[in-house]
Amino acid sequence: MLKLTKEALALDLSTAATRIKRFIKDYVEKTKAKGIVIGLSGGIDSSTAAALAALAIGGDKISALNMPEKENYNTTDIRHAKMVAKKFGFKLETIDLSLILKAYYKALPIYDEDDKLSRGNIKARTRMVCLYYYANHLGKIVCGSSDKSETMMGYFTKWGDVAADISPLMDVYKTQVRQLAAHIEIPKEIITKPPSPQLWPGQTAENELGVKYEVLDLILFGLENFMSPEEIAQSLELPVKLVQGIKDTWLTREHKRRLPLTIKLEYRTVGADFRLPYTRS
Amino acid sequence: MPKEINVALAQISCKVGDKESNLKTMEQTISQAKEKGANLIIFPELALTGYVCKDLVYELAEPVPNGPSIRQIAKTAKRQNVHVIFGMIESSAKAEAVIHNTAVLVGPKGFIGKYQKMHLPTHSVFEEKRYFRPGYQTPVFETDTGKIGLIICYDIFFPEITRVMRLKGAQLITCISASPSIRRGFFEVLTAARAMENTVFVTYTNLVGIEDGLQFWGGSRVIAPNGNIIAQAKYDEEDVITAKINYSDMKKVEAFVPTLRDLRPELFSTLKEEAENL
Repeated sequence: MLKLTKEALALDLSTAATRIKRFIKDYVEKTKAKGIVIGLSGGIDSSTAAALAALAIGGDKISALNMPEKENYNTTDIRHAKMVAKKFGFKLETIDLSLILKAYYKALPIYDEDDKLSRGNIKARTRMVCLYYYANHLGKIVCGSSDKSETMMGYFTKWGDVAADISPLMDVYKTQVRQLAAHIEIPKEIITKPPSPQLWPGQTAENELGVKYEVLDLILFGLENFMSPEEIAQSLELPVKLVQGIKDTWLTREHKRRLPLTIKLEYRTVGADFRLPYTRS
Repeated sequence: MPKEINVALAQISCKVGDKESNLKTMEQTISQAKEKGANLIIFPELALTGYVCKDLVYELAEPVPNGPSIRQIAKTAKRQNVHVIFGMIESSAKAEAVIHNTAVLVGPKGFIGKYQKMHLPTHSVFEEKRYFRPGYQTPVFETDTGKIGLIICYDIFFPEITRVMRLKGAQLITCISASPSIRRGFFEVLTAARAMENTVFVTYTNLVGIEDGLQFWGGSRVIAPNGNIIAQAKYDEEDVITAKINYSDMKKVEAFVPTLRDLRPELFSTLKEEAENL
């Protein structure tokens, strides 16, 4: 049986960094984009993705956007975003979303102040709208920074933070992102602070997921390798119920990772039938 | 039969769906390899079109041997007086949408033969069975560059096919490939294993470049019948390597590691029975 220890998630960091940089550069070149737009919160994922993008295509081609808002204003995160931009040599612009969000809340007839999830998702989707405005206007593509742990758990806003043209970290678990971040010398204080999607004050990913990333990643790695919840629970000395719950979450959130379910009426249907390369020379 | 040949492995990056550009790259590479003395030049799997063509396969397929791309490569082979092996999408002469993942061999006198991939990977990022009909033939071609058997990529995971070609007299097994980086470890072991267990020369020619996020690792190599790597191309970068293959080296390996002498044919019928009941 596969041993679920942290060594199982050890990456060949130099190779991984090289492949990710090559992946980014290749797609920018093939799409003839003028560069990359990326949302930079100052958290570990966006810092690592932005830094790798800058290393891949040069900082002068990166447009990073920091998008704070009144309810969630965090000076530490903003300082971290500025540190990364300075260290990796790219421009960081700040867009205060407070007024846009206020307008949304006011315009929605059924707006409910107490529904913090729906309100929080507006924030993630508003960030996406800004990123794509920059991308369209500047002739660039949007680089996402979702990692594999959060993507498998569906721990993101549908059509929000996960919306991007490329996702260079999506095959990298969170604990592996930490390794990678250290390898490319992201400041330690960014790597060690608790991750948060920044949808409301005090929100942290590990509290919501109900498990530390060190454990979550090993559970997900076990599922990836076709282990049963019982085997994973035994290997990690965890309750089967916890592992089964994570498996259920992974499976039930598939709708967040796919294009919309499409009706089948004709011979060749978008989604079900058409398979075309991302780029054609 | 020649005793010695100069083989060139052309580890190129392809433009997906752009046959004109890929043909140009191949012609330039043939020219360069010829200057280095090569008389057999081998390109990767689906070198004519790129690997990740998906639904474009139907518009990129050509009949073999009368398609325009083969004719062009054959003309170049004639002009340069070399043999060339390359991968392409073949359309059936009888049913246009029936297509194969095919390796083609041409020489100074034109088309020599083809091999249609038998084992079509359809797992992980691979979806070949969705598109291709598998081949059913294991031909070995007698040429001025030796007796050559052609296999394609995933075929190398199945020792039977190389063994059959060796038993038909192949001196050289050429594996053309489009292998992404995560598979490198498998191919490095299997290419050497196929050479050793059959006491035969093996060449492995892989793509490089990125197609739909898939990064091909290169690492093309020429392997002697004793498993030694005679020449190896760079990882991840375009490269053209040449190596001398001396067929007379086979005899001493056949004597020292006599795998062919020690074959047990009765196991093959057992193998068939067990495989049918897996």
